[in-house]
Amino acid sequence: MSRAIIDAREWQKAFDLKTGATLAAKGPLDDLVRGVQDRHPYPGDLDAAGNRWVTDTAMDLLERYDPSFVFLTYAQQYFAGRYTPLTEAQWGATIATVYREVERFAALSGFTPVIVGTGDMAPLVAPIDLTHLDGLALCTHWSARYAGLHEPSPADLALLGTLPEIERIVPWQQFVDLLGPCSLDPVLLPKYVLVARAGHMFKTVGGAFRQVRRVPAPAYRIPVSGCPEGVSDSTEVRSTVEKLLGAGRVALIFVEGLGIENFPWSCREIDNGREWYYYETGDAQYLTITTGRHQVFEYPPGYRYFEEDGPGKEFPFSGYFRSVPARTLGADFGGRSIAVGNRSMFMHMAAGADISVECFARNLYNQGTMAVIHRDDKA
Amino acid sequence: MQCNYCEWRCDLANGKLGLCRMYETAEGGIRERFPHYWSSCIPARIESIPFYHVRPGSRALVIGTMGCNFRCRYCSNAFIAKEDPAVVRERMLRLSPAEVVRKARQMGCAGIVFNVNEPAVSLPSLQELAAEARREGIALGCLTNAYTTEESTELLTSIFSFFNVGLKGMSATFNRDHIGIPGVEPILRNIRRLAAVAHVEVTTPIIESVNDGELDDMARFLADVDPEIPWHVFRLLPEDEMKEARYPSVDRIAAALDAVRVRLPYIYFHNFVGSEWVNTHCPECGTLVIERFSLGCGGDKLKACHCTGGSCPACGHEIRLAGDVAPTWQPAEVRP
Repeated sequence: MSRAIIDAREWQKAFDLKTGATLAAKGPLDDLVRGVQDRHPYPGDLDAAGNRWVTDTAMDLLERYDPSFVFLTYAQQYFAGRYTPLTEAQWGATIATVYREVERFAALSGFTPVIVGTGDMAPLVAPIDLTHLDGLALCTHWSARYAGLHEPSPADLALLGTLPEIERIVPWQQFVDLLGPCSLDPVLLPKYVLVARAGHMFKTVGGAFRQVRRVPAPAYRIPVSGCPEGVSDSTEVRSTVEKLLGAGRVALIFVEGLGIENFPWSCREIDNGREWYYYETGDAQYLTITTGRHQVFEYPPGYRYFEEDGPGKEFPFSGYFRSVPARTLGADFGGRSIAVGNRSMFMHMAAGADISVECFARNLYNQGTMAVIHRDDKA
Repeated sequence: MQCNYCEWRCDLANGKLGLCRMYETAEGGIRERFPHYWSSCIPARIESIPFYHVRPGSRALVIGTMGCNFRCRYCSNAFIAKEDPAVVRERMLRLSPAEVVRKARQMGCAGIVFNVNEPAVSLPSLQELAAEARREGIALGCLTNAYTTEESTELLTSIFSFFNVGLKGMSATFNRDHIGIPGVEPILRNIRRLAAVAHVEVTTPIIESVNDGELDDMARFLADVDPEIPWHVFRLLPEDEMKEARYPSVDRIAAALDAVRVRLPYIYFHNFVGSEWVNTHCPECGTLVIERFSLGCGGDKLKACHCTGGSCPACGHEIRLAGDVAPTWQPAEVRP
């Protein structure tokens, strides 16, 4: 049973991650984890100290649990880039900060870092308004490039075909043929996937109402530092990390919002998708890297996510996730593992580490931290 | 020319825009400046808004506009409520009433709820939306600060059938220093009026050492209006001008609320993840009748409703509910 420990600042509570039921009995790692959470209150997604929090929290947890595998995500620059009006100088300073924090972790911990940039960001040129269609267009989980189109009328399709900002309109089955299979309930699936051109994002109902400043830039290839020659695809990173783990202690570090253009480490470029499809920063990209398999269709672009969000849904603290993903790197690794990051909601699912500590923030509102203990039999 | 939508009664003569900046004079009357511009159009669980006693487990389309007639120092939505509406407008959705209702239908929403900012700043648009929604059998609800004139409070009751009113504090000092209004009296008057004709829940954000000393006064007032009025006490996580303020102590506020539970059986304490104070117990026998999860800013959700036909399964006491419990989504493998 996976345990979740919520720290809402000066107030902590343990829950069954799957059912959400309160746990009265203490697990063997609870005190260790609660102490780490108590000492490291999350400063907030847009706070400049957000990335320092990752390093500090990871070092604290590392010293107490002594893992061999560490999974980290640094995401403050992604949130700041997306929602605040940064000048080029400010953006450069933000990148410098994340560079310092990653280097600080590597120096303090002595772990061999494998660093993945999830893709660059580019200024938003203009939104593509899909709110007046007869059908329903949906963007899910902060996607800018992809929208699902449900129940479109012939007039919708004719109109969309004239919009130069739309790169392509892909029938669902073609999408599945490219990256499938897809076993999701067909009721939830769109008829088409709409793909926006670079610099654009879709404006749909259900979107956040904050002003977007930057969106993910084209990321057909992404940078990886610390991988040996021969790795050419994001599905191959996992096996590389596993090999490195055979020889020593390794940290797999995700740096969000940085791609080939802005990556401050020497790196290899690897494929980040297939043909026209590339992963944006998000759960699918994380899972592809941690499982070594393409992971598009568990929570695919533009699906009717809200249908599942009712009383019967399990994993209430894990957003739209309906199960713990199988065969993640952390879950399969036989040694001790931890994950720390300021990417909330899915990091504990994608990493699969013994212990995860992540911020609990939604739409940039800071509610504290959540630790997840997937297993305590290595304690 | 005086605006009579809210108690500020702003002078809109000679091109003036008033506090909310959402109305202007035109052709001898008062006109909405940005009709049918929406800052939000998002499906959400009804509990997350929050409405705990309206059609439990259902989905609602959450809409909002921009601008506000309050200047709360801790505002969570300042980027919508306090910004110049003329500037914010460019990133809004412009949807006709028919389009909003169609979106609600397409997303399986049982209701439409105005949230984000204050409905009094967009009443003409909401009147049109209500007419369209009524034709389609969709109920409208809202969160409001209830700082409306008596006339526009009546207008609110003609538009919305359920309300969550923000009662932020009782003292003149708090209302002046933290909300920017001279006093709470119009709000108290309007809570009485709304509760007399519609389903009302009340929300109070608590800032420790600022308005937590007023909990007892608020409970007395609410109990006098209706002893079964649901009251949501929010652990306020301050934003905007009070971003650096300390998070209120969960234990201290919970203890303070325990002391006033004798007056109001439906007291909830939430807006933080994992709160234990989000379940409904029968006012008569104490049986647990509705269970919920608290996900803080992620929005609360229904876990299970044990009511039988809207009543306590143990003693038969009627539980305050507006509308039936919504049917639960079933995945393909178990769908008939």
